[in-house]
Order: sequence, then structure tokens, then C-alpha cells
Amino acid sequence: VVPLLLVLHWKHGAGSPLPITSVNATCATRHPCHSNLMNQIRNQLAQLNGSANALFISYYTAQGDPFPNNLEKLCGPNMTDFPPFHANGTEKAKLVELYRIVAYLGASLGNITRDQKILNPNALSLHSKLNATADAMRGLLSNVHCRLCNKYHVGHVDVSYSPDTSGKDVFQKKKLGCQLLGTYKQVISTVAQAF
Amino acid sequence: MPTLPAWVVQALVIFLTTGSTGQLLDPCGYIYPESPVIQYGSNFTAVCVLKEKCMDNYNVNATYIVWKTNHVAVPKEQYTIINRTASSVTFVSMAYLSVQLTCNILTYGQLEQNVYGVTVVSGFPPEEPKNLSCIVNEGKKMMCQWDPGRETYLETNFTLKSEWATEKFADCKTKRGNPTSCIVDYAPIYFVNIEVWVEAENSLGKATSEHINFDPVDRVKPNPPRNLSVSNSEELSSILKLSWINPNIRNVIRLKYNIQYRTKDATAWSQIPLEDTVATRSSFTVQDLNPFTEYVFRIRCMKEDGRGFWSDWSEEASGVTYEDRPSKAPSFWFKINPSRTQDYRSVQLIWKTLPPFEANGKILDYEVTLRRWKSPSQNYTVNDTELTVNLTNDRYVATLAARNRVGKSDASVLPIPPYPFQASQPVTNLKAFPKDNMLWVEWTAPSKSVRKYILEWCVLSDSSPCVPDWQQEEGTVHQTYLKGNIEESRCYLIVVTPVYPAGPGHPQSVKAYLKQAAPSKGPTVRTKKVGKTEAVLEWDQLPVDVQNGFIRNYSIFYKTIVGNETVVNVDSSHTEYTLSSLTSDTLYMVRMAAYTDEGGKDGPEFTFTTPKFAQGEVEAIVVPVCLAFLLTTLLGVLFCFNKRHLIKKHIWPNVPDPSKSHIAQWSPHTPPRHNFNAKDQMYSDGNFTDVSVVEIEANDKKPFPDDLKSLDLFKKDKVSAEGHSSGIGGSSCMSSSRPSISSGDENTASTVQYSTVVHSGYRHQAPSVQVFSRSESTQPLLDSEERPEDAQLVAESGDRGDSIPPRQQYFKQSCGQPDTSPDTCHFERSDQLSCGSEEDLVRLKQQPGLGHTSQPCGSEQVKALQEGSAADTFGPRAEGHTEKLETVGVEAALDEGIPKSYLPQTVRQGGYVPQ
Repeated sequence: VVPLLLVLHWKHGAGSPLPITSVNATCATRHPCHSNLMNQIRNQLAQLNGSANALFISYYTAQGDPFPNNLEKLCGPNMTDFPPFHANGTEKAKLVELYRIVAYLGASLGNITRDQKILNPNALSLHSKLNATADAMRGLLSNVHCRLCNKYHVGHVDVSYSPDTSGKDVFQKKKLGCQLLGTYKQVISTVAQAF
Repeated sequence: MPTLPAWVVQALVIFLTTGSTGQLLDPCGYIYPESPVIQYGSNFTAVCVLKEKCMDNYNVNATYIVWKTNHVAVPKEQYTIINRTASSVTFVSMAYLSVQLTCNILTYGQLEQNVYGVTVVSGFPPEEPKNLSCIVNEGKKMMCQWDPGRETYLETNFTLKSEWATEKFADCKTKRGNPTSCIVDYAPIYFVNIEVWVEAENSLGKATSEHINFDPVDRVKPNPPRNLSVSNSEELSSILKLSWINPNIRNVIRLKYNIQYRTKDATAWSQIPLEDTVATRSSFTVQDLNPFTEYVFRIRCMKEDGRGFWSDWSEEASGVTYEDRPSKAPSFWFKINPSRTQDYRSVQLIWKTLPPFEANGKILDYEVTLRRWKSPSQNYTVNDTELTVNLTNDRYVATLAARNRVGKSDASVLPIPPYPFQASQPVTNLKAFPKDNMLWVEWTAPSKSVRKYILEWCVLSDSSPCVPDWQQEEGTVHQTYLKGNIEESRCYLIVVTPVYPAGPGHPQSVKAYLKQAAPSKGPTVRTKKVGKTEAVLEWDQLPVDVQNGFIRNYSIFYKTIVGNETVVNVDSSHTEYTLSSLTSDTLYMVRMAAYTDEGGKDGPEFTFTTPKFAQGEVEAIVVPVCLAFLLTTLLGVLFCFNKRHLIKKHIWPNVPDPSKSHIAQWSPHTPPRHNFNAKDQMYSDGNFTDVSVVEIEANDKKPFPDDLKSLDLFKKDKVSAEGHSSGIGGSSCMSSSRPSISSGDENTASTVQYSTVVHSGYRHQAPSVQVFSRSESTQPLLDSEERPEDAQLVAESGDRGDSIPPRQQYFKQSCGQPDTSPDTCHFERSDQLSCGSEEDLVRLKQQPGLGHTSQPCGSEQVKALQEGSAADTFGPRAEGHTEKLETVGVEAALDEGIPKSYLPQTVRQGGYVPQ
């Protein structure tokens, strides 16, 4: 999955931290970025924040017992490898951290989506929410990338990803997914408020 | 093998043949380019190259090549022989979209063999796609559409390309047959700008549209709000609260709304001001609504900033506002029933139900109050819309109020006048006219203050009675429209009555149509009177049911069978018309059309024929003709009567009258005692060929006027005399040797022998020999001859004054005037002639012989005529007759002495010669 995600999202320097650089060549885009990027980023964060709780509920509901009744135990936001975010940082720093978070979430959502299609193939609403969130993550990542490139000339940022769950059992898959979405719900709220 | 299907065998044969004889399919040459696609209208050159082997086999070279397009040979001028094996053909301005180009060779015997063929396709390169636009329907994928430009006539691919600044999306290829739009495969991702463009490509080129860059969220068309509901408020009867569920896009974008509403029966929508709904919400309270009215609502939404598209309208939802007290008093009117007693009258109070927008709720009942001067009021509660009460002849004031669940309306006041009551002060200038598909009524208000107006109207019809409808208008109104079911093409009688505080005024009426139409039936024309050159047509007024409008005029169309149609327009007030200048004895076809403002309608055709003669014309012709004929006949008769002697002379030749023959005069020895010499002399000159010698007894003492007065008697006797004369004359003149008639009188039965008179000359022929022969006839003699005593008796009777037969009188006169012509004799006899025959007299005098011999007689007669004419009396004539009578008496006396033997005599020239 990781190579696949790398191919999808990190064509340049995938798997390694994206260094902050001022080399414009690495920030080449297909066409000029829109000038209203920050507003779009805020809207995207708000959109994600607005849908995060519904996604979380949909997820643990779809997983069935015991998840709905043991949220704190099974879905608590206690992921240790989740990228940090400092809301009081500069815009550039926040954008870099946001970039990492979004990259991490994007890869994790890919894993969850894959697993849920297998584990809960009839949870269409969940699938739809997962896809929508993943799409929104893609858009947010693009906008952050544009913003970093255009304004801060950052062409590369090192990112990290969650462990692959393909080898884990079903419950672990569900549990890891639930923990991720719980963390995501919490983090995205913070991030949205930070911008 | 026989069991193998035929198609299997055929396929096998073809396969084996193709495999074993591959060289047969190897063409003799090729055309370059093999699949040419050129721009329409451009030049094109193709080259055909023959293979050496083929050239050797057929013994041909490039000069044997023949080019064909669609099996038609290309002119040689377009060929170019490049070398021994290659020939090219050039087309200037290729005007075919698709053409089959073949290269052929002429083999031995001028046989054409196809070498190779290609299809030349022409078209246009794609134009740049224009007007690219995209829309994101909520919950669906983005769709973009564009204008592909002109037709290329070639297979052209349109590809929608899209990308973010950081990555590219998959191309969207149009489906065949729909090159103007494409739906992308990925879900829209909001708040990320995407760049989109279209590439059009075909064999002749590639074109790219303008790139558009947008945020898909600005191209969103949201789903409409759902679950719209409406609720009312008991506190406020003028509001309704709307609630709905926003579309899911609400989680992504902020929305604004568009709310529309209408009453249930209306078609036009009213709109809540947009500025009142610019923020995201899920409910809204609509104000200023009418109480107890059902309203229908609908809502739509779009992105708050106006970017994007309005959603479709939501499903409609309706709600009813709460009730309120009636906002207006009902219309109130009365009718006085015809049946009444001396002290009471039956009054029917009527009112209209309030319309819903005035009733403001369900009307439970009506409260009616009747108040007479200084009397306690009478209260009624009525559920119906009418109330009949018996009232005295006093003046009353009636009030009416409608009541619903919330409250009571204001009272409507209606004064009921006393009986009798003289209404006055009508409205003036009352007019009714259609406008905006309504029938408007307009009037000028009276000078007096009017409390209200009552408009009553009904449909005028011949088949149904006038059932009036009515409405009430405020006293300040002077123009309104009839608020009823007004139909087109119906005649409405509209009555406007002003209502004063004291009572109703004098009503005024007017007729009107909401919309006129052509009459549904034309007038039936008929003739009232038909003359030779004119006809009076009449018709009945059309019934009002078929008029469909005000009849403005009539047109009369009339024509003959062969003639052109003539049209006469007649004013609508007429019911008859006179067609003039018609042709007599002609069949006319006439029909009539009645016209309203909207058209006309022909009536049935009617035919009539003008007579040949006008009335009285036949009489005017026949009567004068008959009168003229009668007059002519009468004149002819009179003329003939006057000229009867001349006619007689020509028709009946004079025949000597044997009755006048005198035996005594026959003897040659007897000297002539009368003026026979003169007669002889007269005859000798030959002027008279036919002379009737008539002896007239003139011994009648009766004066002439008596005779003339009895003209009938005269005529009768004349006929009698003529009969005698004719009989005698006929026998003696027509046959010269015919024996005379003898009378068979018994008293004179003795046989008398007649002598045979041989005419010595007749009609100017001098007799050669006078022959007298003894007649052997035993025919009796004529009366006068047989009975000479009669003559004596006549003479005697004449002396006695007795009347004598006219015949005898006639004879007497003739005898007295032997030398005069019959005219002269008649001249004396006839009154008619006596007053108008002076010419005859002149002629008479001019006859020399006659003048000499007849001078005494003639002079006497002329004198007598003159005297008669002058004195208008016949007295002198009677005296003359007396003298003649004496002469005759002498003759009679002489005759008595002569033996009674009769000898034939002649009056011809030569006189009487005794036998």
C-alpha cells in the first residue's frame, strides 16, 4: 500500500521528509495556483471538520459491537505516530505540519477504505464518507502544496505514514481504523481552528 | 460430405482458393497515398504505380492507366505520366466529401482492369470549441459542455481535459454522437481550483478550447430543499411558517434561498424578497397573508455568494392561514314581491356571500335587523342568503352582518323606501363595454350623494327568462366590471340603481356584450312584393339568441343566374328593402347577411322571378288597344254605314226593280210623262252604269224627324227593302235572262206572263239589239205591282196622315227623285249624312248630266238640307214630300187605267222599249 500511496501522492521524494527548499524547480506546477488558496484551505478544513464526526460515527457504527459501546477504549485518539500540529506556529510551519498530517491521513484513509470494502461491503454510507474525505484530503493536499510552493517556495516536505494493516486481523484493522478516525476528528478540529 | 451445409462448402472453397492462389489477390499496382484524407476544397494528387510483373503480363505501361472517380473516368488532362510505371492524377479544389478513386489499365482489346482503389475523404479540421462551461450537480459528477464549432465531416474526437495545479485527471472522452458534453469520471472536489479545456482532433488537425479555471464549488447546482412544510399561527391570521431540510451541500457551502407563494387558485407566484433569505436557514415565516386563505409555497437554493446555479424548485407545500373576522359587510339588496295586500308588502332581502378574502373564515350565519321609525327593531339570524319578510308600507332600514368563528363583520345598511315611493335621480351616461375580457360598466354619478350602487344584469334570450344577477358597489365608484360568469356572445341587460339614504333611485339600463361574434344564423329574406323592375324584400329581425352581437347592418346579395352579384348594405333598423332596377322576367337569387362588429352570417338563399309586365301594364296596353279597336271598328261601321250605297254599288250591282216597272211606260207609243228622257240622257253619256231605281211612296204625311228618330225601325225596314231589292235585283241583273220573281199571293193567283228582257248593254256596253220577249213565267208579281191598289191605299193613307211602311216611303222618295244618285237620296234620308255630306252635294252638283236633269230635285234637297241644317227642322221637307206625293198620285191614277200586265223593262241605255 505504501508504494501505491507514494505513487499516488508523492511522486517526488516519496518516503522521505520533504525538505524545505527555495528551489523553484521543485515547485513546478501544471498551471499557476489560484490566488485564493488560503480561503480554499480554510474551507477544506472546515468541510473536513464538519464531516469528521459523521465519518467517525458511521465507522464505528458500521463496525458493530463492541465498537459503539467502547469508543474510548477501542477508538480513543491515542495514536503515537500521528504527525504533530502546532496551532501557534507560523503559517508556513502550520502549512508544513498540515501537509504531513494530510499526507498521513490520506494514506491511512486509503488503508481503511480498502479494509472496509472487504470487512463491511454493505456499509455504503461509510464507504461514501470515506471516499469523500479522502477526496477532500487530496484537494487539501494540493492546495497546501500550491501554497507552500507559490508563497514559501517549499518544493518538498518529509512525511510519515501509518503502519500497513494488511497483515493484521480483522479486529485490529477495525480498531486501527477507528483509532485513526477518532484521532482525525480531534486533530482536524484543531487544525481547522488554527487556520 | 453431402451432409455439410452449403455455406461451409463455399467458405472452404474461398479459403482454399485464397491460400493457394495468393498471387491472384496481389494487385497489379498501388495508389499512393493509400488512405487520403484531405481538406475539403483543397488540391489532391494521387499516384498509381504499376508492378513490373503485371506490366509484362498485360504488356502495358503507365500510359495505359485510366483514373476513375466513383466509376467515372477522370479527364486525361488531369493525368501526368511520371515514368513508365507511374501515373498521377491531380484534382483541383476537391469538392467531394468521399470519393472512390481507382486506378485501371487498358489491357488488350481495350478491356479495363482495375489495379487499385482508395477512398479519398475530405472534410475540415476542427474548430476551436467555444463556450466551455461546467456544472456540478450535487451528488453527481461534474459535467462540462461546449460548442464544437462547424461540422468537420470527419471523425473528430473531443476530449475534455482537467487538472489541478499539482496533478492531472483522466481525460473525459465524448461519447459517439454527443460531442458537445462530457461527464468526468471523478467526484468533484470542492475548494480546489481545477483547470478544464477541450481538445478537438481529427485527421486534418487539432484544436484546443480556451482553458477555464474554477473551483467546482462555484459550479454547484444544489439539490432542492426537501420536506417543505407549512404551518399557521392562531395568534396571527396573516402569517405562515415554512420549514424545510437543506440539501447535503449545506455541509460544504452556505446557501441562500428563493421562496415563492401563491393562493391556491391563482397561477401567478409571488416572491419573498431575496434579501430576506440570503443566509442559510431551514425555516422562514411569511407575513402579510390574507386570513383563512390557502397558500402554496415552493423554495429553491443556491450558493450564498451567487456563484453556481439555482437548484430546482422543491415540491410544493400548502397551508391555510388562521381565520379573522369578516373584513367587509356583505352586499345587501331587496326585492319587493308583486303580491301585496293593502297594508303589507312582501319584501325579499337578499345578500351575497362574502368572498373568501373578505369572509376571512367560515361564515356561520348572518344577522339581519329591520328597524321602522320609532319602532323596536326585528332581529333575524339566517343561515341562507335571503330573507322574506312582510313589511308595512312604512319606510324601513335593514342591516346585515356576517359572522364567523372569530367575529362579526361591519353592518351593511339598506333603506327600504315606503310605499308608494317615487324614485328619482338616476345615474347618467351609463355605458357598458368589454375590456380585458371583462364587461365593464361606467356611469356618471348623480349630483346627490349616493350610498351605494346596485348593478343587476341578466342574459337576454328568446328561449329563457331574464334571471338577474347583481352586485353592489360603493357609492364612490362610478366604474366597475360585472363580477359574475359573463359569457361571450350573449346579450346582457345591465341595470344600475343608485341607492340613496332615503331609498333607491331610478334605475337605468344598458345592453352590452362581453365579446361579440358573427351571428350564428343569417336572416331569412323573402319578397313582400315583386314588380317588373323592383322587388320589395322583407325579413324578420334575428332572434337575440343568434345575434351574438349588435347587428350593425345587413347586406343583401342578389344576382341573376348569369349576372354578377350585387351587394346592398342596409341599416340594421330596417326590416324591408326595395331592390330597384331589376330586369323583368328574370330569376333572381337573393340572400341576406347580418353583420355584427365581429363578422356576418349569410342567411338562406331565396329566389324570385320578376314578372314580364308590371302591374296594370297589361291593362294599360290591352284596354287602349281594345278601345282603339272598338273605335276603329265603330268608325269603320259608321263609315261603311255612311258609304253603304257606294259599297252596295260595288258589291251589289244595281238591278232594275221590276216593282217599279210601269207597263204603261213600256209602250213606245206612250209619250214619256216623266223625266225619263232625262234618264235616257243620263244613261246615254254612260256615267251611270248601275242605277237602282227605287220608288218611294211619298204620301206619308208624317214629318221626317219622326222617321229619323226611329232609326231602328228605319234600319229594319231598310233591310226589308233591301231584301226585296236584292231578291229582285239579283234575279234581274245577275242573270239577264232570268225570269222575274212572281208573287204567290192568293188574291192575285192569276198567272202573269213575264216578258224576257234581253239586256242590250250592261256596264257601258251599248246594246246592239233591244229584244223583248214574252215571259212564260208564272211567278207572281211583287206586292206593289200585284196590288196597285195598295199604292192607292198608301196615297190615301198618306192623305189621312196614317203611317206607312218605310219601305213604301223609301220607294216613294226614290220615285220622286229618279235622276238623283243613291247618295243624294240617302243624303236626304239620314241624319248623319245630312250634317256632314256637303261634299256629296258638291259632287252631286258637279255632275253635268245629273245637274241638268235633277236640278229641281237636287236644288230642293240641298235647299231642304240647308234649311234643315239651318233651322234644324224637317218641316219644309215634309212640304216637298207632299208635292211629290201629288205627282205620284197622278201616276197612280194613270196606272189604274192601264191593264195589269207586266212587261219586262230595262233601265239601261236606250230606255224602255215596249215589247
